[in-house]
Amino acid sequence: MLRLTISRVLNEAKSSPKHLFVATRSQSGEVKKPEKIEVFIDDKSVLVEPGTTVLQAAAMIGIEIPRFCYHERLAVAGNCRMCLVEVEKSPKPVAACAMPVMKGWRIKTDSEMTRRAREGIMEFLLVNHPLDCPICDQGGECDLQDQSMAFGSDRSRFTDIDFSGKRAVEDKDIGPLVKTIMTRCIHCTRCIRFASEIAGINDLGTTGRGNDMQVGTYIEKLFMSELSGNIIDLCPVGALTSKPYSFTARPWEIRKVDSIDVLDAVGSNIVVSTRTGEVMRIVPRVNEEINEEWLADKSRFSYDGLKRQRLVTPMLRDKDGELKAVDWEAALVTVAKVIKHAGDKIGVIAGGFADAEALIALKDLLNRLGSEALCTEHTFPLDGSGTDLRSSYLLNNKIAGAEEADLVLLVGTNPRFEAPLLNARLRKGWVHNESNVASIGPKIDLTYEHEHLGDNPSVLQQIACGQHQFSKKLKAAKKPLIIVGAETLERKDGGAILSAVQSLAACTQPEDSHWKVLNVLHKVASQVAALDIGYNPGIDKIREGNLKVLFLLGADEGAIHKEDLPKDCFIIYQGHHGDQGANIADAILPGAAYTEKQATYVNTEGRAQQTLVAVSPPGRAREDWKIIRALSEIVGAKLPYDNLNQIRDRLDEIAPHLTKYGAVEGANYFKQAEQLSKNTKTALESQPIDVKIKELQDYYMTDSISRASTTMSKCVQAVLKQKQSKYSN
Amino acid sequence: MVIKYFGVDRFFTFLRTIRDAGGIRASLYKLYRFDNLRPGTLVGTDKFGNKYFENPTYFYGRNRWVEYAPQYGMEYDGSQVPAEWFGWLHYKTDYLPMNDPTRPKYKWMAEHTENLSGTPGQYMPYSTTRPKIEAWVPSKCK
Repeated sequence: MLRLTISRVLNEAKSSPKHLFVATRSQSGEVKKPEKIEVFIDDKSVLVEPGTTVLQAAAMIGIEIPRFCYHERLAVAGNCRMCLVEVEKSPKPVAACAMPVMKGWRIKTDSEMTRRAREGIMEFLLVNHPLDCPICDQGGECDLQDQSMAFGSDRSRFTDIDFSGKRAVEDKDIGPLVKTIMTRCIHCTRCIRFASEIAGINDLGTTGRGNDMQVGTYIEKLFMSELSGNIIDLCPVGALTSKPYSFTARPWEIRKVDSIDVLDAVGSNIVVSTRTGEVMRIVPRVNEEINEEWLADKSRFSYDGLKRQRLVTPMLRDKDGELKAVDWEAALVTVAKVIKHAGDKIGVIAGGFADAEALIALKDLLNRLGSEALCTEHTFPLDGSGTDLRSSYLLNNKIAGAEEADLVLLVGTNPRFEAPLLNARLRKGWVHNESNVASIGPKIDLTYEHEHLGDNPSVLQQIACGQHQFSKKLKAAKKPLIIVGAETLERKDGGAILSAVQSLAACTQPEDSHWKVLNVLHKVASQVAALDIGYNPGIDKIREGNLKVLFLLGADEGAIHKEDLPKDCFIIYQGHHGDQGANIADAILPGAAYTEKQATYVNTEGRAQQTLVAVSPPGRAREDWKIIRALSEIVGAKLPYDNLNQIRDRLDEIAPHLTKYGAVEGANYFKQAEQLSKNTKTALESQPIDVKIKELQDYYMTDSISRASTTMSKCVQAVLKQKQSKYSN
Repeated sequence: MVIKYFGVDRFFTFLRTIRDAGGIRASLYKLYRFDNLRPGTLVGTDKFGNKYFENPTYFYGRNRWVEYAPQYGMEYDGSQVPAEWFGWLHYKTDYLPMNDPTRPKYKWMAEHTENLSGTPGQYMPYSTTRPKIEAWVPSKCK
């Protein structure tokens, strides 16, 4: 329904300006630019392209027309009528959001007629809107509140002479994340459009007409989307609010800190709202290159995991084998003694939340001690060029590039749950840009149609040598994109898969020479930084090393067990959550979580970004690199940096892009990487390609923060319950 | 008289004080513990072993004192004096507790406890607010 062919869109544009919007946006780069037309907004002349709406034209010269239903990233609905403006010589005011401008129009956004129209609309909206702003969570950041102040009447004509009350609507239960107070709904249908256009879940809709219209899910069911939290931000009133945040804080009491999300490898930009030293909520921050203005549910709602299962004090295992709280001095001295004794028999496993500063400090320390056993918890094949050429482990074409592709091949990845915002981009391309998607791996629901090419790795070879029907499409594609899941490359034949994908990418013919076909999608936030700094992917070195000391830097995925290590191996765990790593540790050094430190993370496209301190680390926990710096002094291998700037200078020495915040350092040498990969000795195995996270219930709890979150466990329960329901499809 | 005139009796008092304290070593220890060594009559001992002395030759305010029981070592403090001796020690009464007819003695009266502030036995009111951070509790070893 949403997916319209270009010709159809253009034909229908004459009758319905609504579809033209879609067409102008997706095609603006390619279609020959027609002549601009001149319109006058408040007597100011503005030149716009044909098809621009009145609202967009006004925005160009900085005039904001009030609106409820219109949203830049959603289709135009035109049903709230708040954006009515006067057009000279037009008998009625027009809806600015849906009306394309005509040549020479004189639009008045602040005339008597416009103001009267707005006041009238506001009165109609408020007739059935409850006056519960004092107890409403949206209070203070509510569009309706603000606009009724700015454009509404200064007195009420609402006299309820029959004492019949205002319209009341039953609340819907759509899951543990979104709270609905449907009486407040003003029927802007933004949530419905978001669900069907961007999330790809056609669950929300309207029933009834006029005064009896209701927004809901028809039958009571869970809103099964990994992007469901965004409808809270979209809702212009308090009808959809955040359940975990409900009644906890007010927007004017909150301190807002710009930060970066680390729960997936996308690196979404977020705003952390805190009050009294506690994270109250996390909302997205606009970054057109990464997350637009959306945020995935795990990133948005797992903040309560930051308050549970925390490591708040250093711990040491006593004679009886129990972990006992000690002070920093005792912990550092004991750990330093053990490290000194171990000499170069020391190894590191870095987990998914490790920041670049901690990674570099630990690497410098170990290198000073004479050890090279620095590993990441997540494996990456070392055959061919391995991690020496950055292009073989980055999402080279960038996240924003995904929506421009005309053919996408997913190899062993489920972007819907591994990187929900990348999937939203792919879906955007599928809806607006006619892209085709194919996948190799298990059958999964990506929220858009895609061709399933089977789950056998040999399909890759068949496509490469032209035996497969898909190879023709790949050759013909002008902007092909191959996205490989990092998880698939963790297989034993990962090297062979990467090599097969590299040669597949080499035989495509993209139109634009800057178009990068090969893309690797990582699952954890630390991986790219760790590989950039020079960590070894995978823990083989640790297994073989016969180590005396193992340092776990937030490694919680259970990659290593006590049984894999020599019996007398001393395990040090540094991190922020008591999870698998802390359970096997002999010494625990409490670190800071991503909301508690200023730290560098590099996302899967190779973009360095930094988190900022929103709250202080709990108890005796400290910033990670500082702990390592302190330890180095006691060990006797003092690291030469005392503050953040100095350690960032050190990062700069190793890889300058790590401190260029916000910018992507692109990678190249695809040909060389491809040639080197031909030396790969491992062969493709016949074992089918699989992904761990197949369905929504697997998505919520994947790391130490989300595993500690009660909200996330409620989500898992809700999804499992919904799956058992007779109404589930 | 001559003895007193030349102050030789003070020497005997000194010797007696040392003898009462239990020898030179014990005297030095007492001096170290209480910063004080003086002659006096033992008027009583409470059930914790604290000894109460009196010497009317000292002026008022200095003539009654307590020597804390040896088990307290250097960790003695005023709250270790039980309530019944408190009155005599602070000149509320001149009756010794065992001679005081007005002092009630019921079965239900609680045992005297010293002030436990700053020790593991101190009173801690429980918090009714939700903790901001719940710390991880390591699982018990098998």
